[in-house]
Amino acid sequence: MAACARSLDKCVSSIRLLRIHLLQNQRLLSTSACRLAPSSDGDKPGKFIPPSKPVIIDKMSAVTSLRKHLSPEFIPPRQRTNPQKFSMERKDMIRRRKVLDIPEFYAGSILAVTMADPNASGKVNRFVGICIQRGGKGLGATFILRNIIDGQGVEICYELYSPRIQQIQVLKLEKRPDENLLYLRDALPEYSTVDFDMKPVPFPPIGDIPVNKMKVKMRPKPWSKRWERPKYDVQGIAFEQILSPEKLEHAQKWAQPWLQYDMMKEYDTSQIQEDVYKEVEREMSK
Amino acid sequence: MFTIRMAGWTCRFLLQRGVGLLSPRAASERPYQLVGCIRTIKSTTWFEENLTEDNQEYMRKAIGEDYRNMTAEKLNPLKDEPWPRHEWTEGSRRVGLIAVKLGMVPIWTKTGERHVATMLQVQDCHVVKYLSKEEHDGYTAALLVGGKNVSPFHRSESQIEMFRNAGVPPKQKVSTFKVSDNAIIKPGTPLYAAHFRPGQYVDITGTTIGKGFQGVMKRWGFKGQPASHGQTKTHRRPGASGPGGDPAKVWKGKKMPGQMGNVTKTALGLKIWRVNTKCNVLYVHGSVPGHRNCLVKIRDTVLPTRQSSVLSPPFPTYFTEEEEELSEDLYDESLFVHTEPSLTLS
Repeated sequence: MAACARSLDKCVSSIRLLRIHLLQNQRLLSTSACRLAPSSDGDKPGKFIPPSKPVIIDKMSAVTSLRKHLSPEFIPPRQRTNPQKFSMERKDMIRRRKVLDIPEFYAGSILAVTMADPNASGKVNRFVGICIQRGGKGLGATFILRNIIDGQGVEICYELYSPRIQQIQVLKLEKRPDENLLYLRDALPEYSTVDFDMKPVPFPPIGDIPVNKMKVKMRPKPWSKRWERPKYDVQGIAFEQILSPEKLEHAQKWAQPWLQYDMMKEYDTSQIQEDVYKEVEREMSK
Repeated sequence: MFTIRMAGWTCRFLLQRGVGLLSPRAASERPYQLVGCIRTIKSTTWFEENLTEDNQEYMRKAIGEDYRNMTAEKLNPLKDEPWPRHEWTEGSRRVGLIAVKLGMVPIWTKTGERHVATMLQVQDCHVVKYLSKEEHDGYTAALLVGGKNVSPFHRSESQIEMFRNAGVPPKQKVSTFKVSDNAIIKPGTPLYAAHFRPGQYVDITGTTIGKGFQGVMKRWGFKGQPASHGQTKTHRRPGASGPGGDPAKVWKGKKMPGQMGNVTKTALGLKIWRVNTKCNVLYVHGSVPGHRNCLVKIRDTVLPTRQSSVLSPPFPTYFTEEEEELSEDLYDESLFVHTEPSLTLS
């Protein structure tokens, strides 16, 4: 701003000097007031250009994600169903998505959901929690949010396409190495507690989503499920702190290493995903 | 279901056959044996029995194209005049449809309640034959309606003849609908999903999923016996079978293990939530007997409390050219459509 004032003073004396000065100090002047256009050649004085408007980058506004992401409930399951049924369901899902913005999220992200509730005061019910599971396909897709309120663990299962949901806001977008975090039920309460008034954490629209590789500490056994067994394939638990190496080895007895080679269980969704993604993008942009 | 008429037990003589008596039988080609005067069991033949392989392939392609053209023409009824249409009167019954069960889908009402609906697609439904009162049973006229198109090969000549008379490709399922005299339709007329309107109630008949020979706990919901506390080899058994010495017998119809499923059952009073006229799909409340991609028979409800004369469904049926253009989707009043904004309950 001081440079601007100085340049204005010099303006009277010599315009050329002013131009050179301005060009050198362009960085300082970019967000502030006047700037005279440097004329390319010739003696005509530069035209007055109105100052450039300040660009306010609102990191929390709905920045359309430039990531190529297809929500998992669009991928049809492996069934002997007529594909027309899935395409009709997809049309309904896209119609709903045009009205309600359903953001991209994964198991481990922290969400806030506002739902219409006839029994709540103000008729609206807001719940904040960590997403532990995303299930279902098509219109019946669900996700479970977990939080601990007044020492009591609470899990609520929401349907993504239910008309009672008024807003889904992602407060923190992150992934975990596991697809479902049901083991948080047996973990210490600090890992499932989410502050209700948490401020949304900005996340970039491009690039990979951060994977939180934290190892969660568990309560003493017995647990609701035997998470150390290889069928659950849990990466996010610190087993060494609660189970001895002999017990971990004993748990490996239930390993079924031949399953990864079972060709009948293969379901290659890459082609389906591409086709469905193109269709969804096309319909959403209409 | 249209049954194949059995040729009956007839006698055949050596001479008719033409091939030598002592020649070895090829089991695949000759379904009946013939040594001297023998009783034959069936006389169904199929298209490609006497054709060469090339001809068989050509026939398949040609007939496929033919049938596609037949169903593509949505004209009704094609060359001759249609039969006269009458008005709806009290007590008249109209035709039903045959549809394919696609799958199940959740739906929401405007008050936020969630229900489940079954999607039924009406694929190539045509009226195949008209039976007058005298021909059918002496009381009511009947219309035979056919469902999904299917290949004419491996079907009997009499069946194919019936479809040929109507000018319609052979159908997988043909069922009878009892119809009042003012609702008869000319054979060859296509039937569409817009025949039913949202808010109407229907009865759906289908063959339930077969579970095989099942025990009494699964079949009838008996409680069985405890798993432990000294039970010897008795955990899923029926237990007692009746009162005792007074009847001194087991009543007829006693619930016992046996075949479960694969029977025809009717689900009554199902509401139609939504009709998609473009893809010919009906969204029907709740579940419907049968597996996915099975054919079911849909007709207007018999239940007296669900008869609605307020709605005026098309009588005798929905004709594409004669009626005004319907929107692509018809919804029931209390159904939440996904293009509306989210609900605010008050």
